[in-house]
Amino acid sequence: MISPSASSASSSSKKKMKQAESKWRTAAQERIYRRRLLEALRSTASGAGPRAVKEAADSALALTARGQSQWSRAILLGRCRPRRKLLLKAGGKVRRGRRRPRPAAPVSVAVATGKKVRDRLRVLGRLVPGCRQLSAPSLLEEAADYVAALEMQVKAMRALADAFSAASLNAAAAGEAESRVV
Amino acid sequence: MGSGGRFGVGTGNSGAYMTAIAEPIQFEEEIRSLIQARFDAPPVSGGSFTALLGLSANQAVGLLHEPGAGEVSTSAAGLGHPLGCSPIFPSNAALADRAPSFPFFTAADSPASISGGGPSPPLKAEPPDSDSSPSLPVPIEKPRRPAKRKDREKQKAKGPSKKIKTAEEHTEGDQLPYVHVRARRGQATDSHSLSERARREKINARMKLLQELVPGCSKITGTALVLDEIINHVQSLQRQVEFLSMRLAAVNPRIDFGGLDGFLMAECGPLAASNGRGGVSLDPASWSSAPAPGTGLRKDLRPSQQSSTAWVYPYALIDHATSLFGYGAADSVPLNWNQSKTDL
Repeated sequence: MISPSASSASSSSKKKMKQAESKWRTAAQERIYRRRLLEALRSTASGAGPRAVKEAADSALALTARGQSQWSRAILLGRCRPRRKLLLKAGGKVRRGRRRPRPAAPVSVAVATGKKVRDRLRVLGRLVPGCRQLSAPSLLEEAADYVAALEMQVKAMRALADAFSAASLNAAAAGEAESRVV
Repeated sequence: MGSGGRFGVGTGNSGAYMTAIAEPIQFEEEIRSLIQARFDAPPVSGGSFTALLGLSANQAVGLLHEPGAGEVSTSAAGLGHPLGCSPIFPSNAALADRAPSFPFFTAADSPASISGGGPSPPLKAEPPDSDSSPSLPVPIEKPRRPAKRKDREKQKAKGPSKKIKTAEEHTEGDQLPYVHVRARRGQATDSHSLSERARREKINARMKLLQELVPGCSKITGTALVLDEIINHVQSLQRQVEFLSMRLAAVNPRIDFGGLDGFLMAECGPLAASNGRGGVSLDPASWSSAPAPGTGLRKDLRPSQQSSTAWVYPYALIDHATSLFGYGAADSVPLNWNQSKTDL
């Protein structure tokens, strides 16, 4: 197969680099995620516990990723089982079951990387959800996307938590003031 | 200076060896000539300093001991040569400091090389690989195979003229069944090393991406350390998410969600106040201005509580599964709700 010209190839690589970073940094994405986050939080039962909140936040994050990345698909698939079919269609190359066709993927690049690097790649694969049996280049790509997404998530949640606590303080103060007046 | 003559590893200027110790540049040239001489003696000790010299451990120790022994003997003889390096082999920091940033270093194993990598730019044939100096050790994996080292030596010596642009871009594309890789000048052209190099380029490109993403990684050289940093960063982010979710969980039950609609698009204080009915302002601001939302919310909390009952969030429309499809529709729906609210 004839390889395409250098210009098109370079543009594709540049696109990849742009995707990882600016995709999660745009204000539009932030807005979208915050909306989803609020939704998710509302749908959790009050007093459900921090774990439910975290799961809701992660699901919202994965949703905002639109299933284009491995980790987002893994998160979404992990939560809602009956909807796998729809997500399969949307996400594209989602495989059924946890068994990936490349169980020795991290080792396939063993020739090019040392033992320490391989160990760390394995650890990284365990950290990023759904990326355990991924080859080194795709794992690194997923990790870049995941890191950017996580940073946005932390920022949004922190702002939300601050707003929440400020609101609750104000509500308490207002309530007190009212009761005192009355 | 008879001890200099004892050092017979095939160098021409062994006589100048002792003085070379005091002068880093000459010493490095010494080492380089050693390497080129000892080409066929690949290192066995896993990328340590001896790898640099291409000598066995004993020979390297002998090398190091030479100056030390020389010092001792010459001091006895009254020369008292001022040596910077100690005769103890493990503390090879002195030599490492003087050593240039040899491409044979796998920085994972020799952190001293990172600090020592800075000085000695006057070195000649260590031109940084076309893979860029920060990741200099990265593309050079453990040089266990002398063939690879030879390749790199040749490439180093001739100065890599980089004709590999097409290959790099292609390998980053990652979707081509056929990768067209052009070999660099002086590099081996057998299919194995070509495909390996292509793979390595891919990985290095992704690593660079990650390095830019994670703060403070651009200074670190060496794949393993960079990966360390990345792992730490990911773990810390995940921990932050957990803490924040704890905070949110603690605060959740007490807050009436209706009052927080202003934060969806929060341009907080003034606009939220003007929207007395607690409507959502459509300005693309963020929650980051935390103090203002607090003040704005106080005014909002009362009036919005009345409207919150009318605020039925369109859950049905934004189903988790379907939102992937109707992405645009899902986005526009809340806006419609907002507008209808303000129309009330």
